[in-house]
Amino acid sequence: MSASASAGSVGAGPVGTVGAARVDSRRAAKAPRPAGVRSLAKFLRIGVVVALGLVWLAPLYLVVVNALRPSTAYTGEHLWTPSGSFSLFSNFSIGLNAGSLGPSVWVSLLYSLIAPAIAAVIGAMAGYAITVLRIRHGFSWFMVIYGGTMFPAQMLLVPLFFGYANLRLYDSRIGMVLIYVAIDVPLAAFVMRNFFLSTARSVYESALADGANPWTIFWRIYLPMCRVALIAVFILEFTFVWNDLLFGLVLSHSSGVRPLMTTLATLSNPYAGVTVPVILSSGLIVSLPTVVLFLATQRLFAKGLTLAQI
Amino acid sequence: MSQQLLTAEPRAGGSKPPPKRRAGHIRGLTGWSYGMVAPSVLLVAALLYAPFLWSAWLSFTHYNGTGSPAWAGLANYRELFSDPVLDTTLRNTALWVVGTLVLPVGLGLLIATLTYNVKGGAWLRLPFLLPYALSGTVTAVVFGFVLQDGGALNTLLHTLHLPGSSVSFLQTAPLNTIVMIFAQTWQSIGVNLLLFVIGLQSIPREPIEAARVDGAGGLRLFTSVIWPLLRPLTAVIVGLALVAGLKTFDLVWIMTEGGPGRSSETLAITMYEDAFVSGNYGYGAAVAVLLTVIGLVVSLLYLRQQASPKRELDLTGAGR
Repeated sequence: MSASASAGSVGAGPVGTVGAARVDSRRAAKAPRPAGVRSLAKFLRIGVVVALGLVWLAPLYLVVVNALRPSTAYTGEHLWTPSGSFSLFSNFSIGLNAGSLGPSVWVSLLYSLIAPAIAAVIGAMAGYAITVLRIRHGFSWFMVIYGGTMFPAQMLLVPLFFGYANLRLYDSRIGMVLIYVAIDVPLAAFVMRNFFLSTARSVYESALADGANPWTIFWRIYLPMCRVALIAVFILEFTFVWNDLLFGLVLSHSSGVRPLMTTLATLSNPYAGVTVPVILSSGLIVSLPTVVLFLATQRLFAKGLTLAQI
Repeated sequence: MSQQLLTAEPRAGGSKPPPKRRAGHIRGLTGWSYGMVAPSVLLVAALLYAPFLWSAWLSFTHYNGTGSPAWAGLANYRELFSDPVLDTTLRNTALWVVGTLVLPVGLGLLIATLTYNVKGGAWLRLPFLLPYALSGTVTAVVFGFVLQDGGALNTLLHTLHLPGSSVSFLQTAPLNTIVMIFAQTWQSIGVNLLLFVIGLQSIPREPIEAARVDGAGGLRLFTSVIWPLLRPLTAVIVGLALVAGLKTFDLVWIMTEGGPGRSSETLAITMYEDAFVSGNYGYGAAVAVLLTVIGLVVSLLYLRQQASPKRELDLTGAGR
């Protein structure tokens, strides 16, 4: 009887409301059987995840084992066996010096700190002008800025390459920062506009009444107010710039301008004459900033990502 | 600050403030607002819109980088659509889109569901989150090392006496595209997992408890309660994956450069090859235009598909 009743209620709708008394009686009737089933199910659940997790860790294990191997001891054999030495940093320093990774690390750090910061402030300015200052045709301005995200990078590459060559921006740090800022601005404007929409207008009006000018209100009140959103955007864009390969490939060639990932990609070419432990240790170490940033700010990161999409 | 969020007044709440009042507030406010919107608009116009239009125009020209582009009408497009490379490229791109849609999103959802509400779930999820922090370049370096001939995977298969110990994973098409999709899955599962976990944690407890009480458990609980509640989030995640799959470049460029021959090229790689390796900039621009059009069509179809079932559901609900 109880079986048919419960089947019926499941069929009727899983979110149905159930009287408290019935709940207790059913729980009591069902309790003994599922206990074993449930623990088996839980065991299976965790088993599947652990097995998959080991598969996921295997490449990381290989990378670590072979990044720690002395550069000269690498023969391409016994890849799965640890070498017992710790040559991570000496391998990396070979990459920095002989592989010319050094200048790229610094210049990428420069790009990934400066471009997202500029983009965040510029985007916030636009969001402020649109939502708080209520610029005429605000929504159209917003769509113009946000529409910039529609274009795939491939549509921009050829004109940027020739345009940069004509304007002497090709292979210059300013040129790289400019394109990174331009790519980052639409997202920043989008997130900031949404954030400012949710703030009380009285803040602005009372500050204005106190005689502050719009820029002061923006810089002193609105920008500090949107700290969290700013940081979410910054993290997302830092990661984007730090990981960029394509713009670096097309718009730069000399060491000191060429970003990190582009240089690493060139190094990984078999003809570059760099050993596997050097490449792997370099790949491992240059990933640390984004690994730390990502793990420390998972939720904020995810928030920025979902904000970016809708 | 969060309090402010809660007490925020809707912008378009009452009647629109008359423009007169706005202008009377402070002199030159229009100047301020144009001044503050200008940097964004100028940057986007100069570095995104202008190149976009320039590319569209270049796709109708022959241009080898010297002199000026020569008008060619539809010649690039005619050549493109009769090129056998395009078939391979389109097939690979479709594989990438479907593969990176099904695998990272599906597995992300699976792991999120399996580790949700499990003690130590965060630790169980860590192996899947870590690779997401690696760039496409580093992922390519890692898997280039794992998958190269006589590399770690070949060795492992040999030791375990499994077939495939002498397979050239990166030199055989279409196997190379498939293993690269797995590499991409390895890297990108983390973000989907993270989003799904956050989605699951934000599901109110009441419907789940009620369903449990009603006897729904396991798969049943998932399909009838959890999945419908996750749908809006899934729409976002699938949208992200679609776009990422279409634009696949980094991994393929580093692992195979689109080879051997041109067998593992995606649209993004074909564009780069034709423009920057062969120096046919007009032709490359035509490939970029094709990529843009496909992207637009896919997005529109997706949005339409996403919008329609919900409406039907509402209609039937209202009809009764």
